[in-house]
Amino acid sequence: MPRLLVVEDDDRIRLSLRMALEDEGYTVRDVSTAEEGLAEHAATPADLVLVDLMLPGMDGFDCIRSLRKLGDVPIVVVSARDDTHDVVAALEAGADDYVVKPVAVKELSARLRALRRRARGDSADAPKTLRFGEIELRPEAGEVALGDDPVHLTRTEFRLLCELADQQGRVLSRQQLLDRVWGYEVFGDDRLVDVHVGRLRRKIERDPANPKHLLTVRGLGYKLQV
Amino acid sequence: MRRLGLRARVTAVFTLGAFGLSLALSGVAYQLTRQNLLAERERNLVRSAYFDAVLVRDGLRTDNPVIADVLRNLDTGETRRPVLRRDGQWFSRTADVGITDAIPTGLQQLVSEGTPGVQLVSLRGEPAFVVGVPLDEERTGYYEVTELAELRRTLNVLATVLGVAALGTTLAGAALGSYASRRALGPLASVAGAADEIASGDIGARVTRDTDPDLDRLAVAFNHMVDEVQARSEADRRFAADVSHELRSPLQTLSAATSVLVRRKDELSGRTSAAVDLLAEEVTRFEQLVADLLELARSDRPADRRPTDVVDLARSVVVHRGMDDAVVDVTGTGDTADVDPRRFEQVLTNLLDNADRHGGGAVRVGLCVDEATVRLEVDDEGPGVPPDERELVFDRFARGRAASARGGTDGTGLGLALVSQHVAAHRGRVQVADRPGGGARFVVELPARSS
Repeated sequence: MPRLLVVEDDDRIRLSLRMALEDEGYTVRDVSTAEEGLAEHAATPADLVLVDLMLPGMDGFDCIRSLRKLGDVPIVVVSARDDTHDVVAALEAGADDYVVKPVAVKELSARLRALRRRARGDSADAPKTLRFGEIELRPEAGEVALGDDPVHLTRTEFRLLCELADQQGRVLSRQQLLDRVWGYEVFGDDRLVDVHVGRLRRKIERDPANPKHLLTVRGLGYKLQV
Repeated sequence: MRRLGLRARVTAVFTLGAFGLSLALSGVAYQLTRQNLLAERERNLVRSAYFDAVLVRDGLRTDNPVIADVLRNLDTGETRRPVLRRDGQWFSRTADVGITDAIPTGLQQLVSEGTPGVQLVSLRGEPAFVVGVPLDEERTGYYEVTELAELRRTLNVLATVLGVAALGTTLAGAALGSYASRRALGPLASVAGAADEIASGDIGARVTRDTDPDLDRLAVAFNHMVDEVQARSEADRRFAADVSHELRSPLQTLSAATSVLVRRKDELSGRTSAAVDLLAEEVTRFEQLVADLLELARSDRPADRRPTDVVDLARSVVVHRGMDDAVVDVTGTGDTADVDPRRFEQVLTNLLDNADRHGGGAVRVGLCVDEATVRLEVDDEGPGVPPDERELVFDRFARGRAASARGGTDGTGLGLALVSQHVAAHRGRVQVADRPGGGARFVVELPARSS
């Protein structure tokens, strides 16, 4: 059973989520502070992490950043804050997904499932190796290199790159990318796609402000130019 | 008669006042001048007449005087005409035949009694002075008749000049009245203008301050009032948003705990199971309500418009609801428009939800994009919306007659209110009409370009 770490300071929410997610088949460890969460994850790495933003002590943003330093564990933010500023900041800090409370357990479960599917080497039709510019992408191996240096991407970033590479030269709309990468019908939340494209650019483009490969097609979406 | 405005009345008062005043002054000036001129003329004429009368008397004292010569020898110039009456006979210069008619009998009577006199008469339509000087009592009377045509012309010129001056003053009065009233009432017009702007949505509109302390007070008071009202309205909105926000956390617990119960329905008795069903339904609806309320609270923010393939978006929405793609009927010249994709999607979803709830499901989603407008139509084959409810349906928590009759309240009551707000944020319009063939047709029109 996949191990889920829940970081939430509201006792009742934490307890109810634990019960519901255990029903969904997860082994749940729940903590009420970021510090405890990081210690827990360092000791016994979880397969997935749920984080609230408003925590006592270290806040959710720092928690996400610290978790990212430790690895690429999929992180979903569950927060009552729905400000675009917060959503973008959380995604920029390294989260893979963002849901606003109250979230139905079914939906949360679907998003966690999609995250788990984003394991490496999942694109069956992906080419063996793809080179563009200085980038070398090996989908099955789950590796990316910029020149000689390996690039560390989160699973979501990697999956996004693979989907764009799969359709190289063709435009994929934000909705199509949401469906393919995030895997469910989340409408119009372009922020998920936009921030991740930005993160990808910062990792694989020499000049992220003037991308050569990950291009925006105004009004339509994104495409990968090799 | 329609009541005149304040400005018109003030201007009219100024005009009439100027008119009356200038008329009175002109009249007085004219009269005084006329009287003075006449009096002076009269004095001169009398003096001359006396002088000539002495000459005539002397001339008559000779033996067998020829009266015509005596008269002719007088130096009366062109204007004064000497006339003599002696022993009942009239004598005048040959050129002046006929003027004896001008001499009034009253004056003659006076002169024959030995009293000199002056009279103003009308001679051939012109005014004339007649001076009468008695010479030998009943026997002889000397008269001089002087026409005052030139004087009359002078007075006419004076009258004209005064008339023009009066007219000019009246016009100046009108202009002054108009200016004064405009200056004084100007602030009222600008306050009314600002009020109109605010009412039509520009809550930032204010009245510009005035340099005049009296007029400035109105501007300051008005601006202050609008600030206060705006602050209160903001506070209300924030309260609604804060309340809804606070509900999120408890709802999360309710939702998760309820799903645990639902999963275990098999373990529950019939009654408990039914109770759990109710709980689950209402919690779901409660979540949607809170989400809608929060959305509504921030929906008067301007739309985040970007070039969006609305045809693709509409198709996605339809397909993901499990509806047939063929329901989407696309016409028009393009497929991209400047809309806020999240809000556009909500508009379509809410209209489809509404069609499901009250119309038996949408049968057509019409989409027409051209250079200027995006037109979205959602048709159903339900009972339609009665004309007297077509404005009400877009109100918060409005329940149509048909809906309440069925007791169907699985919506939040905010779906169409959100549609209305999102459409307004795009500066568009939404309305409901009859679908040709029966049912309702909701029509949304948005400008296709943001500027």
